[in-house]
Amino acid sequence: MAERKVTVEAEVGLHARPAATFVQAAAKADIDVTVARQGGQPVNAKSILMVMGLDVRQGETIVIRAEGDGAEELLDELAAIASAP
Amino acid sequence: MTSVLAPVDGAAVGLGAVPDPVFSAGMVGPGTAIDPARAPGNAVAPIDGKIMKLHPHAYVIVGDDGKGVLVHLGIDTVQLKGEGFRLLATEGDRVSAGQPVVAWDPAVIEAGGRSPVCPVVALDARAESVTEVAHGPVHVGDELFRWA
Repeated sequence: MAERKVTVEAEVGLHARPAATFVQAAAKADIDVTVARQGGQPVNAKSILMVMGLDVRQGETIVIRAEGDGAEELLDELAAIASAP
Repeated sequence: MTSVLAPVDGAAVGLGAVPDPVFSAGMVGPGTAIDPARAPGNAVAPIDGKIMKLHPHAYVIVGDDGKGVLVHLGIDTVQLKGEGFRLLATEGDRVSAGQPVVAWDPAVIEAGGRSPVCPVVALDARAESVTEVAHGPVHVGDELFRWA
């Protein structure tokens, strides 16, 4: 299981555009990918409902995990989206 | 099949009319948008369910079947940090379709230089699963779209 810990830098947190972009990138992958608050329960990163429900604010850290073909590349892409200001 | 009701009075204009590409391009999901009447009023729950997320400017109601509907009150209204909105319910509450959730005044949002247009979005839905029912004038509680 590969993972990335990233701090969400967008002013709106992981909502609106960052959330939609994040979920779209996750959804196009064939492998499972989850996102969690640090120490929290992971949720399906391909679900906009779940990601909005996490309610991640600016400055909070999330953990993104994936396993399988292309996991590292996918996590790099998702980490870049989540950490973009 | 979920019948999604208009959360506010106004005119159903479609997501394409929302001045924010996140919504107009369907990135958040399919649905429609309401150009609200410019008068103080209550934004209501579009479906029966639980308030999964309640922000002053936006809320998500999740039905017993797990379907979530987002109502976003105006565009870029997160920047208002709650100013101009009054919560009439609490996150986690069970609500019936038509029950007031947030009090606001679209005219005040517009006067502040922001669009008061309200996207109403089916979350995690395929575009073809949503059928637009209303286009043009709608009253709060009118059927807005159907989600198969």
